[in-house]
Amino acid sequence: MEEKETFSYDPEVLARVSTLKLRALNLVEGLLSGHHRSRHKGSSVEFAEYKDYSPGDEIRHIDWKVVGKTDKYHVKQFEQSTNLKCTLLLDCSGSMGYISPNQTGLTKMDYARTLAASLSCLLLKQFDAVGLTLFNDEAVHHIPPRSKTSHLQHILHGLSTIEPQGITRVDKVIEKLVERLKNRGMLVLISDLFAREDNIQRDLKLLVSRGLEVVLFHVLHPDEVSLPFEGDIIFESLEDDPEIGLDPQDIRKEYQEAVQRQIESYRSLSLGLGVDYVFLETTTPLDQALSYYLLKRQSITKA
Amino acid sequence: MNLNFLSPVFLFGLLGIAIPILIHLMTRRQKKRIRFSAVYLLFQSKKRSVKKSTPNRLLLLLIRCLGILLLSLALANPIFSFGGPEDLLPVSPSASVFILDDSYSMGMRSGDDTVYAEAVSALLKPVGKLPAKSAYSIVLASQSTHLLQDWTEDPTLAEKLLKTSKPSFETTRIGRAVAKAVQLLESAPQKEKRIYIFTDLDKNGWQEDEFLQAELSNKHYPVTLIDFSALRTGQNNAAVKQADVSQEFLTNSRVLRVKSRVANLLKNRPINGLDVSLSINGKQQSRASLKFAPDEEVKKEFTFPMKGNEALNGVVAIPDDALGVDNKRFFSYQPDQKIKALVVDGDPKTIAHQRETFYLEKALNPFTVALSNIEPTISTLEQLRVRDLFDYSAVLLCNVRELPFDYERQLEKYVQQGGALFIALGDEIDPKYYNEKLGNLLPVSISALHRIGRNDKPFRLDIKKSDHPALKVFKGKSLDEMKSIRFNSLYSVEPRENRKYTVPLQFTNQYPAVVESDFGKGKVILYVSSVDRDWNNFPIQPTFLPWIQRWVKYSAQGLESIRNQQLLVGETFAWQDTLTDTSLFVESPDDKITQLAGTSHEDTFVPGVYRLFRLTREENSVPAENKESQIVPKLPDNALPAGTFTVNIDTRESESKKITEAEVRQLLGGMQVRFSSGAGFNQPVDSATGTPLTTPFLLMVAGMLLLEGLMVRRE
Repeated sequence: MEEKETFSYDPEVLARVSTLKLRALNLVEGLLSGHHRSRHKGSSVEFAEYKDYSPGDEIRHIDWKVVGKTDKYHVKQFEQSTNLKCTLLLDCSGSMGYISPNQTGLTKMDYARTLAASLSCLLLKQFDAVGLTLFNDEAVHHIPPRSKTSHLQHILHGLSTIEPQGITRVDKVIEKLVERLKNRGMLVLISDLFAREDNIQRDLKLLVSRGLEVVLFHVLHPDEVSLPFEGDIIFESLEDDPEIGLDPQDIRKEYQEAVQRQIESYRSLSLGLGVDYVFLETTTPLDQALSYYLLKRQSITKA
Repeated sequence: MNLNFLSPVFLFGLLGIAIPILIHLMTRRQKKRIRFSAVYLLFQSKKRSVKKSTPNRLLLLLIRCLGILLLSLALANPIFSFGGPEDLLPVSPSASVFILDDSYSMGMRSGDDTVYAEAVSALLKPVGKLPAKSAYSIVLASQSTHLLQDWTEDPTLAEKLLKTSKPSFETTRIGRAVAKAVQLLESAPQKEKRIYIFTDLDKNGWQEDEFLQAELSNKHYPVTLIDFSALRTGQNNAAVKQADVSQEFLTNSRVLRVKSRVANLLKNRPINGLDVSLSINGKQQSRASLKFAPDEEVKKEFTFPMKGNEALNGVVAIPDDALGVDNKRFFSYQPDQKIKALVVDGDPKTIAHQRETFYLEKALNPFTVALSNIEPTISTLEQLRVRDLFDYSAVLLCNVRELPFDYERQLEKYVQQGGALFIALGDEIDPKYYNEKLGNLLPVSISALHRIGRNDKPFRLDIKKSDHPALKVFKGKSLDEMKSIRFNSLYSVEPRENRKYTVPLQFTNQYPAVVESDFGKGKVILYVSSVDRDWNNFPIQPTFLPWIQRWVKYSAQGLESIRNQQLLVGETFAWQDTLTDTSLFVESPDDKITQLAGTSHEDTFVPGVYRLFRLTREENSVPAENKESQIVPKLPDNALPAGTFTVNIDTRESESKKITEAEVRQLLGGMQVRFSSGAGFNQPVDSATGTPLTTPFLLMVAGMLLLEGLMVRRE
């Protein structure tokens, strides 16, 4: 009920919520229905396969119907469907508010927002608990994980009220968040990862060591990757950097290299830590991005 | 410090600076502002970038502008020099006297102009840059030193006065100008007082006595001397120092001689083949090519036949050198007017040589009329009645006993109106008649006849050098000859009451020999002895001819009493005869006509031939009460030529000797003297007076082009 009180019925926000919901539902409906298989085996009701009985197996797991038909003892094996608690960690620092001067399609924030909403929707449909934490240099807004379907509304509302501002301090936020995430669960970090204080490696290690499954969505606008501007330009920072006047042409190559280096470092870091790293440009269609990711997840799980 | 340009037209190239500015403005990109996320990455990239930064377009513009500026300056041929007017100027309000040497030596050539023009333009610079509330005055330092401009604070006045001025034809008188400047400075209220002298430092202009008179020892004004002698671009090779014309008096020739003297002013170089030409009335008469050793004067005598009796104006000239004024010398020759003389013979004889007038006639008209310009007409007393006295300029009564009845009245009227009467006595005359009837004409009465006995010493003339116009030509040998003339008879004379007369010639016993007096406009000359050989042996002496001719010409006022006046520039011309009821007009070589108030003319500042005209006062329209000479637009129609005189420059200043700095300091006494070069003061006209900056500027242009190329390439 507490979360309900935080609802604001600002028509603009509501409109944004409904479009976000529509967008997310559309996306999720279009995707294959969610099969989140937990890597942890435990008590579950979902049948997995039959196995020849061997001494030591629990007798209550013998499928008597099959014994009756085939006179063979088979034991039912069940896969435990985990009670997954997923926390979406969405960066809403100033840099996420980048709007390209020749903007077409979704803005970076919208893209991230839609991504978060879609994921929430997807997870909730599988009855997983989803929470949302918005942060810049600290946690700005926190919605604890719930698995109720109606929880989606909270999350969507939370997503809709984001105003990107402030600097990015992923490390600080994760430090605090780790304390809350006592149980093993899943953490999805959606950010452009433009942070100068780069302790993200340590933070990811910390998260992984706590048994959390971490997914890193690295969202960048194509402008931020290629620096396509022409002419003398004064770049004003969306965060707290001083402004700089230059001809992008002069540093384009260096910039692109720097961004690629950054992406590569995250990629390799993630690979090392067993973190799922997904790099997304805002021009990448979200369904494609999500399905690609889910397929990838499935293949990993199967493996 | 000065930066000057030999080809300033290229400075228009500076307008070309507009081109890079236009290019800059046209290609200027609008600076966009973009709010960007990864600015810290931009900073990192910028640090790493090989292209450190975009070439600053402003820097590029600056380099291009500088390149064009330097190219224009280089093409304009810049010359840099130290020492300009600013260095010499006071900083506080001051009183400055600018002394400008306008003597003719300043007329030396300097490039296309004269040294004087350079000095004038140099003078105008500091005048224009004097501090506020500074007063200045200008003194000209030629012979007739005068204040050109009294104290003023208006810098434009100097330009108005000097822009069109030219050097005078006079010599320099720095001393007097300095004295004048000191006098001016004494009256100036400003605390700071300065004297600037713009001169060529010709030694001739620095006369010690003038500086002594100025008493400069207790004056301590700072004096700045700007020396323009270095700006001369040529040498004053030679000068004509003399040109005198003469006609031998007693020779049977009508050939005029012009004696000229030309000097080579070069101390160490001979001149071969200098053309000296003689021109008469504007036409070249003859020419000679002379050779000169260094520093030599050569005399050259030109002779040429005289045609007619017209006045001659001539000039002896040599080719132009750096100083033009001393290459000409003017002279004029005024042949006597033909004088018709009526000679009345009081003792006619049938034998020619026994006649009273035999010698006189021969003397007045020795060969032809043309030579003496006197045409005597011998007349007896009987023939007098039929003659009109007014046809003659002079009447000579020779041993006339008495005139026809009442004829003395006609004579009086004749002399009154300007005729000349020459009376020679003799044995025939009746003193009583002369004393009674000619009492009006003669200022003396004839008293007694003096005869010497057989063994007595004859009367002799008391001969000494005389300035009388009729007698001044006699000198040396001719004077000695006149001393030997023996007079055995003569009349003594007694002065009449209240009558003015002069005795130009007397005997050794103090008896007057010639008595001269004015009557009306005419002259009466009384000679107390006879003009034949009865009473003396004068008629057979060689000096008798010029003596009697000159008296006749003098009394008839046709004598060349003025033509021998050869003046130097600035000297005053004075008419030597007394003038009554006559106005004189002088036409100067620059066609200026001046009506003289008296008999002197001071405005002789231009060399050349001056022509004189006379006009009796009744005919003169100008009121007689004019006390000062005045310039008239036109010569009155009835003015008659009365002669000429010539004015030439004083050639002392032609020989350019520069006074040393030590001498100047000594002459200027207690004054603090500072020397400056007119070359540095004025615009340097060639690279010799300054450092040419073309090459450095071109190198800088090349540097700019290189830099610009590098920058553009990087872009």
